[in-house]
Amino acid sequence: MYTLILLAGGKGTRMKNAVPKQFLLLAGKPIIMHTLERVEKIEEIEEIIITCGEEYISLIEEYRKSYMLNKKIIYAKAGKTRQESVYNGLKKVKTDNVIIHEAARPFVNKSEFKRLIECKEKNVIFTYPIQFTVLKIKDDKVNELLDRNELANIQLPHKFETKTLLEAHEKAREEKREFTEDSSLLYYYTKIDIKTIMGSQYNLKITESLDLIIGEIMYKENLIRKDE
Amino acid sequence: MKTCVITGATSGIGKATAIELSKLNDYDRIVILGRKKEELEQTQKLMDISKKISYKILDLTELKKIPNIVKEIIKENETIDCLINVAGYTEPAPLLTTSIENLKTTYDVNVFAPIILMREVVRYMKDNKDGGKILNVASTAGMTPRPGWLSYASSKAAIISASDTLSHELEEYNIRVYCVSPGRCATALRKKLAPDEDPTTIMQPQEVSSIICSLISNNEQCLDGQNIVIRKKI
Repeated sequence: MYTLILLAGGKGTRMKNAVPKQFLLLAGKPIIMHTLERVEKIEEIEEIIITCGEEYISLIEEYRKSYMLNKKIIYAKAGKTRQESVYNGLKKVKTDNVIIHEAARPFVNKSEFKRLIECKEKNVIFTYPIQFTVLKIKDDKVNELLDRNELANIQLPHKFETKTLLEAHEKAREEKREFTEDSSLLYYYTKIDIKTIMGSQYNLKITESLDLIIGEIMYKENLIRKDE
Repeated sequence: MKTCVITGATSGIGKATAIELSKLNDYDRIVILGRKKEELEQTQKLMDISKKISYKILDLTELKKIPNIVKEIIKENETIDCLINVAGYTEPAPLLTTSIENLKTTYDVNVFAPIILMREVVRYMKDNKDGGKILNVASTAGMTPRPGWLSYASSKAAIISASDTLSHELEEYNIRVYCVSPGRCATALRKKLAPDEDPTTIMQPQEVSSIICSLISNNEQCLDGQNIVIRKKI
């Protein structure tokens, strides 16, 4: 069984909007509700931990009541960083396995969650090939070439063994080392095998205002009634 | 087993729809809603007894009662697969004599109650494996200027717009939203709007109900998301 940590603490500063992006509407529904509605029917997820500002808890609860969602939810404090939010969530996880996802990624459908869960490996992430050229630069100069066939764009959700990830987070806290996401943190401290599975070109993270515009079209094209 | 809920089932288009639907095979359970018990029982008697027919007494101006009524219907029927909002109210008046009470009642019955009913029904319908259908009866009065019918015409424009919006919003749940706008039809409501009109010279409720029944049948999957005008030219 799994606990889902849903990161909803973003302030939407990049969108220059007073409302954090996870509460903006996509196809007429608050972005966070897309994921919560989808995972409601996934039996393997027994509990959801939402990391968010305290001021948003009552709003999320109101939404859940309106959408008739009954899966057990507890709340953890959003940290100053994404890493701190994950750590705050991890401390509350009771299951051996955890799935980490971002509320700002509403395009992940049920079958993709299932594919992650059904993967026999314990530590699994979605990745997608990089279609553009990536170089290392230093002092405004090209410093190193990178083979893009050896590179991958990381997408969420991820799944991990709870204990292993929590221990790695604790080490990162001791060393005051910051990572942009958890598979990097886990790999840095454990060199454990982390399986990668193919993600989707539709798995957009809503970050900029343009993402919402693209998102509306993508949602209709990809997700309407294909969410098995 | 599929369940259909129909409002305004005690007269006019709602009554005709309830009776005709009971004779078809798309829905095994039909729940009719209305204000008066005797009139609901009268409609019930005219419906095909091979279907499970039940009724609920509901005054659509009592919006706060709607959630419990829907809960009861779900408890008794397990699902709601179709909702037909037929009930309507009119009190024709020009602007300068349109009272607050006129506006409140007209909007309660023609707009707020259908929307609250849709909200409460969709809370359950969205989990149906095969989705569902909603059909709202608007009016051609909501499509063109109607001097003297301010509250009625504007309320019907509102339900046309709400139907359009919801046909997109509910698409992800496989819920089809239909809107029909009948023209002149011989109902008690029409009599209030056109008291001098000979009702035998215009559409009859059964002519509208037969189109409604086709739209909500299992075979129809292409005409949702539109405002369908039902008008008899000849």
